[in-house]
Amino acid sequence: MASGKETYRAELRAAARQLGERCLYSAAKWAAELLVGVEPDAAPALSCAMDPPSSSSATPAGRLLHMHRSGGSSFRPRPRPGGGGGSEAGTPLGGVSYVSTPIPDDDAFDSGGDKYLLAKTYFDCREYRRAAHVLQNQVGRKAVFLRCYALYMAGEKRKEAEMIELEGSLGKSNAVNEELVALERELSTHRRTGSIDSFGLYLYGIVLRDKGCEGLARTILVESVNSYPWNWSAWSELQSLCTSSDILNSLNLKNHWMKDFFLASAYLELKMHEEALKRYERLVGVFRCSGYIQAQIATVQYSMRDLDEAEMIFEELLRTDPFRVDSMDVYSNLLYAKESLTALSFLAHRVFLTDKYRPESCCIIANYYSLKGLHEKSVLYFQRALKLNRKYLSAWTLMGHEYVELKNTPAAIDAYRRAVDINPRDFRAWYGLGQIYEMMGMPFYALYYFRKSSHLQPDDARLWIAMAQCYESDQLQMIEEAIKCYERAEKSNDTEGIALHQLAKLHSMLGQSEKAAFYYKKDLERMEIEERQGQNFVEALLFLAKHYRSIGRFEEAEHYCTRLLDYTGPEKETAKNMLQSIKRLQSGFPSMDIDNFSL
Amino acid sequence: MNVFAGVGGGSAATDAAPAVGTGKALLELTPHKIAVCHLVQVFAPPAQAGGDVVPPFPFESLAHHNRLGLFLFTLTRSCEDFLEPPLEEFLRQLKAVDDLTNGWFCEQLTSTLSALNSPDDLFNFFDKLRGVLTAPEGASAEDIFLDPNSQLGVFLRCCILAFNSMTFEGVCHLLADIVMYCNSTDASYDMAEDENFNNEVGSMMDADIGSQADMFDKYHRGFSSGSHMGESSSALTRAPMLPYDSDDANTSKADDNPTCLRSRWQLEAYLNQQADILEKDPSSVPLNSFNATMTKLRTLAPELHRVQFLQYLNALCHDDYVTSVDNLHRYFDYSAGMQGLFGRSVSPVQDIVVGKYESALLCLGNLHCYFGHPKKALEAFAEAVRVSQMNNDDSCLAYVLGAISNLLSKIGMSNTVGIISSPYSIGTNIGLGTPLSIQQQLLVLLKRSLKRADMLKLPSLLSFDHLSLAKFDLKHVQRPLVSFGPNASTKLRTCPVDVCKNLRLSSRVLTDFGTDVLSTSNDNGSFSTSWLRNLSAATGSWRSSSVKSTKLHNNDFDNFHYHAQPCPVPAPVLQLAGSACLLRATAWEHYGSAPMVRMNALVYATCFADASSSSEMSLAYVKLIQQLAVFKGYSAAFCALKLAEKKFPSSTSSHIQLLRMQILHERALHRYNTVSTLHLAAAVANSLFSTCYKYNLQVENASVLLLLAEIYKKSDNAVLGLPYALASQSFCKSFNLDLLEASATLTLAELWLALGSSHAKRALSLVYQCLPMILGHGGLELRARAHITLAKCHLSDPKFSVPEDPEAVLDPLNQATEDLQVLEYHDMAAEAYYLKAMAYNHLGKLDEREEAAACFKEHITALEKPHNEEDSLVY
Repeated sequence: MASGKETYRAELRAAARQLGERCLYSAAKWAAELLVGVEPDAAPALSCAMDPPSSSSATPAGRLLHMHRSGGSSFRPRPRPGGGGGSEAGTPLGGVSYVSTPIPDDDAFDSGGDKYLLAKTYFDCREYRRAAHVLQNQVGRKAVFLRCYALYMAGEKRKEAEMIELEGSLGKSNAVNEELVALERELSTHRRTGSIDSFGLYLYGIVLRDKGCEGLARTILVESVNSYPWNWSAWSELQSLCTSSDILNSLNLKNHWMKDFFLASAYLELKMHEEALKRYERLVGVFRCSGYIQAQIATVQYSMRDLDEAEMIFEELLRTDPFRVDSMDVYSNLLYAKESLTALSFLAHRVFLTDKYRPESCCIIANYYSLKGLHEKSVLYFQRALKLNRKYLSAWTLMGHEYVELKNTPAAIDAYRRAVDINPRDFRAWYGLGQIYEMMGMPFYALYYFRKSSHLQPDDARLWIAMAQCYESDQLQMIEEAIKCYERAEKSNDTEGIALHQLAKLHSMLGQSEKAAFYYKKDLERMEIEERQGQNFVEALLFLAKHYRSIGRFEEAEHYCTRLLDYTGPEKETAKNMLQSIKRLQSGFPSMDIDNFSL
Repeated sequence: MNVFAGVGGGSAATDAAPAVGTGKALLELTPHKIAVCHLVQVFAPPAQAGGDVVPPFPFESLAHHNRLGLFLFTLTRSCEDFLEPPLEEFLRQLKAVDDLTNGWFCEQLTSTLSALNSPDDLFNFFDKLRGVLTAPEGASAEDIFLDPNSQLGVFLRCCILAFNSMTFEGVCHLLADIVMYCNSTDASYDMAEDENFNNEVGSMMDADIGSQADMFDKYHRGFSSGSHMGESSSALTRAPMLPYDSDDANTSKADDNPTCLRSRWQLEAYLNQQADILEKDPSSVPLNSFNATMTKLRTLAPELHRVQFLQYLNALCHDDYVTSVDNLHRYFDYSAGMQGLFGRSVSPVQDIVVGKYESALLCLGNLHCYFGHPKKALEAFAEAVRVSQMNNDDSCLAYVLGAISNLLSKIGMSNTVGIISSPYSIGTNIGLGTPLSIQQQLLVLLKRSLKRADMLKLPSLLSFDHLSLAKFDLKHVQRPLVSFGPNASTKLRTCPVDVCKNLRLSSRVLTDFGTDVLSTSNDNGSFSTSWLRNLSAATGSWRSSSVKSTKLHNNDFDNFHYHAQPCPVPAPVLQLAGSACLLRATAWEHYGSAPMVRMNALVYATCFADASSSSEMSLAYVKLIQQLAVFKGYSAAFCALKLAEKKFPSSTSSHIQLLRMQILHERALHRYNTVSTLHLAAAVANSLFSTCYKYNLQVENASVLLLLAEIYKKSDNAVLGLPYALASQSFCKSFNLDLLEASATLTLAELWLALGSSHAKRALSLVYQCLPMILGHGGLELRARAHITLAKCHLSDPKFSVPEDPEAVLDPLNQATEDLQVLEYHDMAAEAYYLKAMAYNHLGKLDEREEAAACFKEHITALEKPHNEEDSLVY
């Protein structure tokens, strides 16, 4: 329904203009991008869009150490570009009816419009205090907002500068935005008297967040997005305050289509990948050409370890938007996991030319060097990325990996620890910490970290395997615990089959050959399906052959021995001998029986 | 509390500020430090060529001069807080020091600070400072100038260096901070009230504040808004910043004072002090408020990782497992590579290369031990042993061994099955090879640890190991580690000589430390802290009463409280020596000398109270109260217990709780006629004996055997009781448990007596044999029993006639009744009175007989009707 799309367009058009006039640049950018992303009406879609999700196994995971970059196995086809979904476009997405929010009238040219214009130009030139000064005695909501916003920005700018100026040997960085107190007072007064608009509320929300009043900040931001849903900055601030799904569910949000964007992004952050993907796939029906949604979908798929699909989307994205830097760090992680050196170098070159002073750019270059094995240089670029954004979580973790490669354990531990202190839910950094301590010969100490990471990501077989390996280590030798962990890993879809093999091995070590045989058999089946053969395969065959011979099931034993004959090496000889002995036993026993009878 | 063992109670492990290698200045300049610099300059003015007067200008006497010097010294060393005091507070302190020159110092200081108007002023200020340190040409030795290597000299040099390495932005910030610092002096701080203070200065100060406000504006805002800031705009932006024109001036005033941290040395001393407080009295530190303080410090100094260690200790002391584990890991993740715990004995270079992850394991083990997870603790310790061997960290290894032995002795024998029978026992893990019994393992570990500590010159660990060995000797039988065949000697003795030797060696640290490494880190700032605290306490009272105190004109040392004087012995050393003392008390408890127990416990409570942890202190109190109960009766004990409970809230001290129950229980047993279920008692005692036997608790065996003998005695089964009493006696002999032996002998005598009057002679000789020991060291009950038995022996001896020698019977009985009265032991008191009545009957003294009989009746009724008595002690 073209009219539906036209509504979106109208809303976004107005939003981009209004946000731009208030110097909320990134929100305006986001709205404008989305506006262009609405599918053109000209080509009505025909084909069906939503294939039911089907899964099949795919790519093996990358190196264990670099699990952050490695993908996974579930595969989820996305709707083809130019495909369907259009049929749904006009009707509310997913059958829910949205509350239509009227686009507010702009009090653009109230009294003092000229001064506002001047202030805005000052603001555009980053002369914030000047802008605030110009709007001194203006009382229009717009003017009040811009003045407050300018002051806030001035304070932030000063804070950034002071942060560097004040840094001492103890890492003192108590620089604060000094405008916060005044801004909070003024904005709360405005809110009480009701003379505040949704933009003011947004500003009030971030002021509150900066002051540490997160609960109130959430309430205010919800108020803001409920009255003006097109301000993506407000949504993303709100999202950063939703650190758990409980908080997310407790929000009282009006049902606007922007809420879908918010929820999808929040789900992605909270690692609820399935839900996130579902929402994005619905949204992409309307905003077919939106680069943002494409990037988000690719990120989800990357997080779900669906590398190929994600790569396709990123490639497409770069084709249409060659100077994009947003989300490209995810793409570089993906290329790293796939070890596509050329593509990664190409990407690094491109972002370097576009804007080298973006944390993402530094991260991409660092990834490139890391893949090249030049870890010192890689660390250098991660450090640069962190200088640009100290809270850049994945850079800390990745730098930890680089330090591991450089064998600089204290630095690696420090980097990982900073990552978990920024976000305690970052299971990769916890895992990294565990891994380092394990490498240092401290498996007992490492267990704490593995436990943390597997608590955060309970369905990840790799974490359970890591934990099991600690228990199994020479130093600890806590075999029962190791078995429990491997069992858990085996249940949570261990693609590499380490768990099965180890379970079999450990059980046979403990003399529980029935159980061992069970797991060897399972492992064998798995390897047959994946058509993988190797030492483990031979080992399983050998064990099963021996086991069945010892319990007197000669036919099975013979079966496994015969299969062993296909392989070279000492096992072949063993199998031959075993076959002969089985033959002897088989021929021997019946005759014995006869002898017994004859006696 | 062993959690602190190895960590050295915080203060033992103080390293000299390791600010090297950061490339930053040693300290950061703050307004407070500028003020101190200025005063140093007043204290030691740049020498002018010739014409030097001693003391220099404003000082009236040498004492006056020294007083300021001492004040400045303490300012650079005190560690009562992590933030520097605001100017107001500082002026108050200064005024207390400077009561002779009518506030000349304060006036000088404020005017100098407010004269610092531009970056150039600061440059000039520091230029002048430099003059303080350089001796003028031709200066002779007796001229006064500041030694550059003295405490103040170093401080000054650090400040100058910090200023020299400052960027221009930094200078501007400093200037803005100084303005804020001056502004923070509240207008309500009126000097007019103070007679000694010049009124003019007060008004001048007010004027200053006004001008400073403008200046503050100029320097703080200047960068971003330029000089053309409109009035209305500045009013708007400045509104919350100026305390004078907004309604919530008080709330914003707190923000006004720049939050300046003290120097790194002071911060670490502060943290060590907090750690000591946590150890000494965890109940005095509320979990959350302490955490809030630490969080604040952490936001101000995110790279000061020791704060996390304090948070770990705090969580530990408040039994918060999850938080303490988290903080432990966080602390070591951040700092294990840099800040080891045993920095003193290892070169700093090695610190950085190797990393101190083994000490993380040591702490983790201690944590598990504290929370009662011996298995996990052992795993952690075993790993610590491995890692420290791998990293050649011998000192840590020694500490770990000490910690393991501590753990082994703590879990004792009760838990051995779980640990020893596991296939991964520590025996194999830490390289002991063959599986040994837990006691043997303990002994081997202790000896290894001792050897290492001796080699590595770790006096505190050495002392700790000696203590543990003494403990071991006290409780366990020394047996050759490898004994084969029937000829192997099995000398089953605990050896008091060994115990004594180890105890003495342990307290040797006290004498050794003077020449040893420990002395280097002695000044922990507590002296300076309490000096300043006393100073402000004195001025506080002085101000509030506004009566001129003569005290202040006297010698400075009047301001000291006794405990504020610098202690020449570091607290951890004192603590170890105290433990030795306490253990000595325990040893005497075993070997049977109540007076010695009392003496040692008293010595501990009086001499080592400052350095002791709350758990050890409560233990000393417990011992003293037990003594009271045995010698002075339960009423006295309960009075003392009430006091002790006030000091150690029973929720925090399990020792006190146990003691209370024990005393209540014992008194109830004595006072009331308990339902006699001797066969049950015998069964329980039997199973107790077999348990003790199984786990080789020989010392306990002796007392259980005696208990069995007593039970059989009570159930009139003397024949059965005899072998137990004899066995107990011989056990006691071989373990040197003298008092217990005496009481076993007494029981033996009672048993013989119960067998009939023909054995009275033998019983009498036994009683005589043990009487000296019992009268010298035994408690009231034991003494009364001995006396009664003595009288009974005489009475039942057919050859003894009462009229011939009435004193032989009456004396002990009188003594016994007296003692039992105190103890409220109705049962035995009744018996004594009964015997007394009999004796008087024999003597034909009817009045006395009736009196004794009445007493007898009284006790019997008290025994049967317990509810009649008012019970003041139950609460």
